[in-house]
Amino acid sequence: MSERPVRIAQITCGAEYSGIQNEITSAAETVGAQMFYPDVALADVKTAYKEFGLPVKSPDLKLAIARAKAVVEGKIEADGIFIASCFRCAEAAIVRNELRRYIVEHSRIPVVSYSFNERTGSSTLLTRLEALSTIAKRRELMAREVQTGITMGVDSGSSTTKCIIMKDNEIVGTGWRPTTEVLKSADEVIELALAESGLKMSDIEAIGTTGYGRFLIGKHLNADLIQEELTVNSKGAVYLADAQKGFATVIDIGGMDNKAISVNDGIPGSFTMGGICAGASGRFLEMTSKRLGVDITELGALSMKSDGGEGVPMNSYCIVFGTQSLVNALAAGYKREDVAAAACHSVAQQVYEQQLQEVDIKEPVIMVGGSSLIQGLVRAMGRMLKTEIVVPHHSQYIGAVGAALISSGFVGKKRAEKKGRK
Amino acid sequence: MKEYTPEYVGTVTKYVFVDSPDTTPQDIAVAAYEIAQGVMVKETCFGCQITGTPEDVERIIDHLRSLDPYRIFVKDRGFPPGDSRRCRANLGGARPGYLGHEFEMKLSLYISYGLSEVDKMTPAELKRAAEKSLPVEENLDIGQLEKIFMEK
Amino acid sequence: MAKVFIYPATSLMLSDLVSRFGHTPLGSSVSIREHIQTPGFDSPPLQMTSEDPQKGLKWAAVEVPSGVRGRMSLYGPLVEEAEAAIIIDEPDLAFGCMGCARTNELLAFMLREKDMPRLELRHPKSKEEGVTFVAQIKKFLSELPGGSA
Repeated sequence: MSERPVRIAQITCGAEYSGIQNEITSAAETVGAQMFYPDVALADVKTAYKEFGLPVKSPDLKLAIARAKAVVEGKIEADGIFIASCFRCAEAAIVRNELRRYIVEHSRIPVVSYSFNERTGSSTLLTRLEALSTIAKRRELMAREVQTGITMGVDSGSSTTKCIIMKDNEIVGTGWRPTTEVLKSADEVIELALAESGLKMSDIEAIGTTGYGRFLIGKHLNADLIQEELTVNSKGAVYLADAQKGFATVIDIGGMDNKAISVNDGIPGSFTMGGICAGASGRFLEMTSKRLGVDITELGALSMKSDGGEGVPMNSYCIVFGTQSLVNALAAGYKREDVAAAACHSVAQQVYEQQLQEVDIKEPVIMVGGSSLIQGLVRAMGRMLKTEIVVPHHSQYIGAVGAALISSGFVGKKRAEKKGRK
Repeated sequence: MKEYTPEYVGTVTKYVFVDSPDTTPQDIAVAAYEIAQGVMVKETCFGCQITGTPEDVERIIDHLRSLDPYRIFVKDRGFPPGDSRRCRANLGGARPGYLGHEFEMKLSLYISYGLSEVDKMTPAELKRAAEKSLPVEENLDIGQLEKIFMEK
Repeated sequence: MAKVFIYPATSLMLSDLVSRFGHTPLGSSVSIREHIQTPGFDSPPLQMTSEDPQKGLKWAAVEVPSGVRGRMSLYGPLVEEAEAAIIIDEPDLAFGCMGCARTNELLAFMLREKDMPRLELRHPKSKEEGVTFVAQIKKFLSELPGGSA
């Protein structure tokens, strides 16, 4: 029997005229989801718009408001909501933001918000819609709070590959390597983790993969779970930070893109992913450490010798200009620690301006991923958000931990199958 | 990317709407079928849609208009009828244009009346009728507002 | 017979009145039909691709949202072709092609900028206003080249 497709309500303005509607539809189909327009009549538009109370001029935004209300009020059923509008449209950005907030506050329907332009392709949308579809389809898997049996999680990221082995709710093996060849790096980290745990591959009862290389590695390992990093990371984060109940915000500044996820009871409610330029990602900090002649692992300690480096002119909105600022700052005689701190501040600022505006920041704020080990970055983010940021243990392994945790949902079923075969 | 081969090339499609106590949407569709001569006619809840060469479509429209001249409205359409890309059954909801029609058909009563009255006018009467203002509403000028207050 | 741009470009009533009084209405349907009937890459529903917002750069700068530029690629050529225009103010409940207020503002501006006969009015709110509405449109159209005046 084929699975019922996940139905995602499309609440967008401008997608058809930007030439990207087909990209949205294709991305949804790839992840087994189906986009649909919530059906509203003219009278509903007038009433909903008036009730919502946000004055807008564009008729399609009024329609968007009516469609969102119809779904939230349960008049139309949807498993997830995709809200998107044209990049650089201020009117739509306000509506998108307010609708996202309204949906999160008044329903448990997962929502993803995005701003597109004509260059937005289905591959960009894929991870977001996959996450949306997963949350809808696998709520029971996502609800898992305790790891059971022996499971492995492999996270193949753009910069590094990580492996975690868990046994009875404890981390027993870890492996970490820069990503070179996707499969080779995965094999290496698996070997490291197995050696540390003292276990054999045959002891592993379930495997989960995540990150950019998840499909390739998942196939290679015959994984039980192949899952995008948005849901996996947020799950791993609230698990490690012991924040599985209530609200939390997860920030993951990655090597290639950033994720900001608003979580409720361990399940992502709304999230954003991306960033305009690598200048707002961990990549810029790697460049900074190279320029300063320190290893990336030492950049955090170096930056903490400074008060925050806010006096150093630094703008990493674009990685090229950011690098220029770095060179200029050093040439102008600023101290290395101040430059290191300024680079951290700049990345935090970019993430704040470009992404955190799109999710509601609710405490605790948990930072994960390799960049969470750079104390200067965590400090800068904490100052920006005026909160004490939580960095859980093993935060750099977050995707692998999340994958190991969620995949343990397959252990019981697999044990039963094994028993049945005997 | 998949190649796209269009259908109905060289045709036009027109919506025919009717809002009349004397003529039903079904009457319109039946009348169109009667003289269709192979032209595609699709009955709808508001009237019908006609797809064919511009000349064929024009011929049918002229006939339909003569049945109830002031209460039949015709609109040009980019898509052929029942196109899966625009069909409610595939989209989950009505295409955006549907709501626009819903809005405009609410005005049909006024416009039908206007059409019937204007049709009886001589050129001089038409000129006079057109001179009446139908102003675009603007916010009251602050100077004017002050003047009104002062007068009161 | 003159080519008359109708604003809202999706207007049922203007499409009807312009052709009823013997002229050619230019609106969204003309451009959409061209997209739908031209072979190329499949990009449902409107067969618009990322190239369309780029074509729109002729009428709106790159900093203008893609949805505005995409819509302008539909309207720009029609405005160039138009010999007259009828503008109904505040198309607040015209969706889809007329669903973006920013595009609508730019479009109305372009129509006003062009040196051509133009009639601006609003929707009627009573039967009496219906008479004025139709009379103004009929008179305007009859005075255009090929009109009956």
